[in-house]
Amino acid sequence: MSLLALSAMGGAIALDGTSVGQFMVSRPLVAGVITGWAIGDPLLGAVIGMVLELYLLVSYPTGGSRFPEGATAAVVAVGSSAGVDGGGALALGIAVGLVWGHMGGLSITWLRRVNGGLVPREDARISDPGRVALLHTLAIGLDFVRGAAVVLTGLVVGRTVVGELAEHWPLGPGGSVGLVLVGASVSLGILLRDFGGFRANRLKLAVGVALGLLGARFL
Amino acid sequence: MTARPTFRPFLATFFRSFLIQGSWNYRTMLGTGFGFAMLPGLRRLFRERPEELEAAVERHLEHFNAHPYLSNVALGASLRLEADGASPETVRRFKTAVRGPLGGIGDALVWATWLPVVSMAAVALYWWGLPGAWAAAAFLVMYNTGHVGLRIWGFRTGLEAGRQVAGRLAAARFADWTMRLRSWGVVAIGVLAGAVLGGEGGLADAGSGWAVLAAAGFVLGLFVGHHVWRSAAVAVVAVIAILATWGTIR
Repeated sequence: MSLLALSAMGGAIALDGTSVGQFMVSRPLVAGVITGWAIGDPLLGAVIGMVLELYLLVSYPTGGSRFPEGATAAVVAVGSSAGVDGGGALALGIAVGLVWGHMGGLSITWLRRVNGGLVPREDARISDPGRVALLHTLAIGLDFVRGAAVVLTGLVVGRTVVGELAEHWPLGPGGSVGLVLVGASVSLGILLRDFGGFRANRLKLAVGVALGLLGARFL
Repeated sequence: MTARPTFRPFLATFFRSFLIQGSWNYRTMLGTGFGFAMLPGLRRLFRERPEELEAAVERHLEHFNAHPYLSNVALGASLRLEADGASPETVRRFKTAVRGPLGGIGDALVWATWLPVVSMAAVALYWWGLPGAWAAAAFLVMYNTGHVGLRIWGFRTGLEAGRQVAGRLAAARFADWTMRLRSWGVVAIGVLAGAVLGGEGGLADAGSGWAVLAAAGFVLGLFVGHHVWRSAAVAVVAVIAILATWGTIR
């Protein structure tokens, strides 16, 4: 898949993050899988998507807050790591994805400022229904362009970084997965705190861990 | 008195609600999206009175903010108020009154609970050995059953109850649902931790040292909370950069 086509796909997936639907196709676990299929490496797409999902579990698109953009993070991470051998591709791809997810969040803030200039001002008394529909559609189009541009720049940077550094990566595949999961485990601790903390929930947590281990062993 | 909107404009407004955040901005927030979604219904209601239509469009473009899924309650209720011939000031006051509760309920129920619980379930399924595509499909089906159901419920409730939606929101007991879901969420956290620890390609395969470090990360998140999230991500990126640099120069 060409760089431009992948960027356009990233822009389309990113639209789901805020502007269109919010069906959560833009979550890393879905966007990673889709990107993996698109570039012919579904296994890589799935593992990167799942790890990034763990990182972004506690990142909510609430109101006017700035949040890392999961869709651009996943598309850039998978697209940068594809075709590169070794555990370094996974770790470096996820690092680039995390950085570009943050860039995506910054670009959303910028777009919201631009949208503020587009929409009718209170004193402008714009009430023509056709014009309202046009402005709204234009803002959605701008969001697509923004997402595609963020993904394109991320892929250019990411492919360069991963391509240059992956062959010298000092850890094996197991160590690379371990390293990225250490960071992801912080999110699970934060969620437990949000859901009531350890003391009040230790029995349920223990039951869950036992079920998780049993499932991993027997499924 | 205006004519009640028929089913078709209802449906068009409902479908447009999926685009309500398309022009989100720091000045009117969801305001323009709200007006955009209301257009089909307003056109129907005021089809032979273009001046009233323009006035209605103008008042629905004003500042509004709520959770995007639960803004359907306000959309449905606003259509009902317009159909009942409520005064512009009544419509304005109603929207101002409901935006806070609709935002608070939706953020707590959907963003902070439903989304992470379903995400964790899907990621656990993946670490149990389900192919990534199936785990993603399971996530989308589970999540959107709640998502689309909530949008439909909100729109119907708004249309039926009009300005009486507060009672219907209280009767829906969203706070109880949130607490119940969080209870299951704790189990999901445990299941996911167990699956990542024991699953193929997980922490057990990576080595016990990584499992200990991951447990330390979990405890850090538990005690510090959201403040540590960004720092943890930055630290992981920094460690990866240092390792890659070290590997290159050694």
